[in-house]
Amino acid sequence: MGKATVIPFGPQHPVLPEPLHLDLVVQDETVIDCLPQIGFIHRGLEKLVEKRDYNQFIYVAERICGICAMGHSLGYAETVEELMGVEVPKRAEYLRVIWHELSRIHSHLLWLGLAADAFGFESLFMHCWRLRERVLDLFEKTTGGRVILSVVKVGGVVRDIDGAMLREIVAVLEGLEAEYATIVSTLLTDASIKNRTVGVGVISHEEALDLSMVGPFARASAVNYDCRMLGRGAYGDLSDFQPILDTQGDCYARIKVRCSEVLQSIAIIKELVAKIPTGDIAVDVKGSPADGSQASNVLEQPRGECYYYARGNGSKNLERMRMRTPTSQNLAGMVAALKGCDLADVNMIILTIDPCVSCTER
Amino acid sequence: MEFTQVFEPLALDSLHDFALSRKEDGWRYVQTLAVNKDDGVDLVYSFMKNGALVNSVISDVPRDAEVPSISDAFLAAFVFENEIHDLFGVRITDIAIDFEGNFYRVSEEYPMTIISPEQLAAREKAAKIAAAKAAKERAAANAAEASAEAAAEAEKPSEDEEARKAAELEAKLAAMDPEKAAKVRAAMEARAKKGGE
Repeated sequence: MGKATVIPFGPQHPVLPEPLHLDLVVQDETVIDCLPQIGFIHRGLEKLVEKRDYNQFIYVAERICGICAMGHSLGYAETVEELMGVEVPKRAEYLRVIWHELSRIHSHLLWLGLAADAFGFESLFMHCWRLRERVLDLFEKTTGGRVILSVVKVGGVVRDIDGAMLREIVAVLEGLEAEYATIVSTLLTDASIKNRTVGVGVISHEEALDLSMVGPFARASAVNYDCRMLGRGAYGDLSDFQPILDTQGDCYARIKVRCSEVLQSIAIIKELVAKIPTGDIAVDVKGSPADGSQASNVLEQPRGECYYYARGNGSKNLERMRMRTPTSQNLAGMVAALKGCDLADVNMIILTIDPCVSCTER
Repeated sequence: MEFTQVFEPLALDSLHDFALSRKEDGWRYVQTLAVNKDDGVDLVYSFMKNGALVNSVISDVPRDAEVPSISDAFLAAFVFENEIHDLFGVRITDIAIDFEGNFYRVSEEYPMTIISPEQLAAREKAAKIAAAKAAKERAAANAAEASAEAAAEAEKPSEDEEARKAAELEAKLAAMDPEKAAKVRAAMEARAKKGGE
């Protein structure tokens, strides 16, 4: 055995769009230990809740991350509504979930494009992002924004989607679905992709449970948990919801789970469009959260479960707002997946975990 | 699977044993957070099982207290324990991967413990609102009590006019803001003293 050497990975690295540093302890090209380091761009957004009232903070919450913007505004709003005992109109719940699932599609397509680029498939990267553009166009048509949507407010949503636009969303997604199936088929059957991902960065089912992993990273190791199965909001009206699972726990399984989740999101949107009720899209919310009142919430972001916590102090400003992002929760799993892998596989493992440092450094 | 959430108290001394028992019982670790208070922090540990989200709250942990790490039971906790140390200054012992204060690069030491002018103003406003509400309720209760007493006194045939007036005045004073009532009483005493001279 050779001498152990520490190789720094990041914070600037071609596969990392955001700063994440790893100290990789390497022996004969094998990673024997890994120490993750974040904290380069911590912004202290949770502290900002002291300077913005609970209605204003929703705009801060959705700027935590450009990819998960819709999810953060939704998770925050649901937590404050729980804190204040606000009941949201049914139509608003449906609209929220439609936008949230569109966000999941755009997030997974973005990730798939980056993964394809890392593999060296630049044309596949272009195709994934071309499809993603159609989702962004839908955002623009329904909200006016392409990344930061600003449609959720405490008590409901600020915009409705009319029947014609809902039909257009379904038509666009049906067109996207057909093209996406071709891309995924190419991706999952390609021999070079299988060579680089099958059996790489394996996390067993027991390890995934032991490390409290969440999201597609955990579901690729057969952890049967997805916040959407809790049936809250419009998710409760779905005829059936089963998390997408795989049993192999390797990079290939993680790719398969994410690829299938795009199709699952399309199916959810189609069902909700068919079922969406008429009525109000928001209720007036007055008053302030009571002093000492507290509420928590979990929401399935594209990368997994995100936990929200709020505590009131009797004023319009919250005493404390907390978001625990899926990437923070999966750091322990990432360390476990990297231990024992080849040095050349490190970037592939990190890519298939899809860490979001922007969320983590909220 | 139905979602439920509860907040339950937890003692700091039993934290580590509690985490081990959660692990044995198959709970999933969700997160740890801290809430800054004037003289310490509240710590919230969250676990989930079958859709039940249980938040265990350790209240009023002194800032100089030593908090045992639970990262030996749940490795995922090392991220949040390092974070709580760096942002809130809570000393957490035996963290599985301990960055010893270098997890976050922050320009200000323990930034989440700084009480901003906005937060101070919000707290003072909330305290004033609560105090005014309490004073109003107290005054209403006193007024009701005084008027009941006055009515009972008035029913007595032997009571003279002066005592009745005094009781009415007392009832009015009780209904007033306590500070204003004190000023009126002081003025009346001064006037009575002057009249006596």
